[in-house]
Amino acid sequence: MKAQQNGRGSNDAPHGCENDRLSGRLLAKFVPLNVRASETEDGMTVVPARPSEWMSPVTSQEPASAIIEINHVSQVFQTSARKDHLALSDISLTIEEGAFVSILGPSGCGKSTLLYIVGGFVSPTSGMAKIRGHAITAPGPDRGPVFQEFALFPWKTVLGNVMYGPRQQGVRTAEAEAQSRALIEMVGLKGFENFFPKELSGGMKQRVALARTLAYHPEVLLMDEPFGALDAHTRTRLQNDLLNIWERDRKTVLFVTHSVDEAVFLSDKVVMMSKSPGRIRQVIDIDLPRPRRRNELLLDPQYQKYVVDIERMFDESDEAGAPT
Amino acid sequence: MMMSPAVLTRRAAPVLACIGLLAVWQVASLALKNDSFPTAVEAVRAIPDILGDKESLTNILASLRRMAIGFGVAVLVSIPLGLLMGRSRAIAAFFNPLLMVIYPVPKAALMPIIMLWLGVGDVTKTLVIFLGVSLPVIYHSFEGAKAVEEKMLWSGAAMGLSPAQRLVRIVLPAALPEILTGCRTGLVLALITMITSEMIARQSGAGNILFNALDMGQYDTVFAMIIIVGAMGICLDAIFERVRARLVRWSEPQFDMPLSFS
Amino acid sequence: MMSRLLPSNLVLGIAPIVLVIALWQGLVSFGFAPAVLLPPPGFVFSRLLQQLVTLTFQQEIAATLIRLFAGFAIAVVLGVSIGIAAAASPAINAVVRPIVRVLAPLPKVALYPALLLLLGFGHGSKVTLVAADALFPILLSTYYGASTVEQKLIWSAMAAGTPRYEILFKVVLPAAMPSILTGCRIGLVISCIVVFLAEMITSTDGLGHALVTAARTFQAVDMFVPLITISLLGLILNGLLGAVRSYLLRGFPEA
Ligand SMILES: Nc1ncnc2c1ncn2[C@@H]1O[C@H](COP(=O)(O)OP(=O)(O)OP(=O)(O)O)[C@@H](O)[C@H]1O
Ligand SMILES: [Mg+2]
Repeated sequence: MKAQQNGRGSNDAPHGCENDRLSGRLLAKFVPLNVRASETEDGMTVVPARPSEWMSPVTSQEPASAIIEINHVSQVFQTSARKDHLALSDISLTIEEGAFVSILGPSGCGKSTLLYIVGGFVSPTSGMAKIRGHAITAPGPDRGPVFQEFALFPWKTVLGNVMYGPRQQGVRTAEAEAQSRALIEMVGLKGFENFFPKELSGGMKQRVALARTLAYHPEVLLMDEPFGALDAHTRTRLQNDLLNIWERDRKTVLFVTHSVDEAVFLSDKVVMMSKSPGRIRQVIDIDLPRPRRRNELLLDPQYQKYVVDIERMFDESDEAGAPT
Repeated sequence: MMMSPAVLTRRAAPVLACIGLLAVWQVASLALKNDSFPTAVEAVRAIPDILGDKESLTNILASLRRMAIGFGVAVLVSIPLGLLMGRSRAIAAFFNPLLMVIYPVPKAALMPIIMLWLGVGDVTKTLVIFLGVSLPVIYHSFEGAKAVEEKMLWSGAAMGLSPAQRLVRIVLPAALPEILTGCRTGLVLALITMITSEMIARQSGAGNILFNALDMGQYDTVFAMIIIVGAMGICLDAIFERVRARLVRWSEPQFDMPLSFS
Repeated sequence: MMSRLLPSNLVLGIAPIVLVIALWQGLVSFGFAPAVLLPPPGFVFSRLLQQLVTLTFQQEIAATLIRLFAGFAIAVVLGVSIGIAAAASPAINAVVRPIVRVLAPLPKVALYPALLLLLGFGHGSKVTLVAADALFPILLSTYYGASTVEQKLIWSAMAAGTPRYEILFKVVLPAAMPSILTGCRIGLVISCIVVFLAEMITSTDGLGHALVTAARTFQAVDMFVPLITISLLGLILNGLLGAVRSYLLRGFPEA
């Protein structure tokens, strides 16, 4: 398996500058299916607890530091039918600053829930999530969500939606408007400033949602299947747009998706989750050069191997039946 | 939600609310010391006098009978009309403006005119109640039928249902929650129309007792009558709610969703 | 809905109104109903126009409108604020819900005698009655609208740094607006009905009073005039509310 090769490679890697960066991302990423809490505490965390000693996972030369830490988070939902439903079980994950991390997993495995916990919208039943060492207790403008359902304010125009964040941050109207117009242009919606969301197509709404979140400069973008409802063409275009924006601003991105292609194409790191209860199955580093061009990447055997391997891993878990 | 203490509190809450409102009344009347504002206790004490009086009781029962007939006939006529309007643009376009003209007219205000033609009998009062109930029921049936998903009807047609069968077998059940909302509004309106029409005609019935007492300065009776009429409204609504819950168990409870901020 | 009616639909819609008037005329012309009981429509409408320009009748309309607006405005303010508060706070909800369950189905006209005794025979009692009657549809639909606001809208605003109490005004209120306006439409119709009834029961002015005066003197024509006037008022107010609605909801789908 590719993943195992990576693991071995990382252990063998010498501590040079470029290789060090790689090794940092590749060390100890393979958490078995059923990690018991004790094991995890014994250092089998998904990402080493002290990532600062490695280089940033991306091409930047700054040392990487953990921006988000998820420590032993579990989430239990009370449902009327089944009494208690364990949606997330003992999730630990560290996300480094500036990293593009995707979460992949079958439907219902708790991807959205995990994202909401990081967003501060849902507080976990046990464990905690931290941003820059501070416990996350409430939503804040340092973490900007982009929801699958767009969640645009229907009573505001495109401009009004994008201006909402800056205005809320106390930016003066004129300035907020200028910034917002620039952002709207950046996401390719110049000329649609005064349209209402209902007058836009799905892809356009998604761009507005992205612009609205970018407008208040969150350090972390939390994107929940943002391109799930789009046609293949729009999806590709938006993926490229997102990568361009990310490469320029180097925000940390936590990106939930169902599409293996998309995850591999976009990410530095892919977190694979398994279902019932939701656990982290594996974390896979994607060692593909940036900036990534879709037409080059599709022909790249390394890229293809990542996709095939990850898909195979999902198939295997399906054959093995539902995990305990 | 399924726990019995929760159900208990929910059952008990309206009763507590009633007691609370009566207590507020009691305190207010004691504080105001107004001759024309009896205390809650005095008003409640006057209730047996009214219900014990044979004439009053027959009057009240006659009111209820008129209301039941007016309501029943209105529902039977209005639901089919509303459903037809909801499924046919032409029928909707035909009736909508007329209904919009009639809607804001207080039906009880038609009493004096209808009285000119039909006299002050049961027919007039029942007719007025009928008119009062019809409009909300038509309106809600219309809205409900309009919102029925086209695909459901298509699959019905594919199964070989005739248009009339589709109306009865698909549109009616699908629109039922909305129709029942209309019926509930209609029920309250029936009570309002009943009282006001009797207040205006001043012949018999609950509204008449209420205003005669007012004219004669029997304030205890006035407030006792208010309690009786109010109790009628609350009981009818509670009964209706029971029936509604039975009929549309599959539909989501409309007003039971808490708003979550976290 | 009305704005999208095609001209052919308009004709179709006018048809029943014309039919009713024709039937009315027919009844009178063919002697089925004596003119004393059922005056011919032409007579009624000319009387209406004649009345509309007189100062006294205008004063009646003004009295009715003042009561209607005052009561309706109170109902909107109270209904929207209580509805939103009940949706936002479990504590307020626990208090408001049972009280509403008791008071909503209570026929408010039955309270009118009590209001008369407490507030006198002037504007106060009538305005209170209108407000009490229009309150509950507005309150209930506000509550419904506010409790079904999409969670993600609230989350989006919170993530942008909106404090919790501001969420009520910046997200919940505008998002519940379609539902609130539906409640207002029902409340407005009820206000029209109730203000007229209150004036019929006891009043010295207003359209309802005009009807009662005519009824006492068996002036059938003058009984029709206030009824048609209140119907026209209802139509106009409904139209105005519709205009407000389509402005406020211009961003919402299917508004
Ligand atoms: N509010 C809730 N109440 C009860 N159960 C919930 C709630 N939210 C989520 N769940 C349950 O938690 C589990 C995880 O849900 P979640 O939405 O996080 O899944 P997901 O991985 O995002 O799925 P999808 O890919 O379909 O979006 C599901 O089994 C779901 O039934
Ligand atoms: Mg999800």
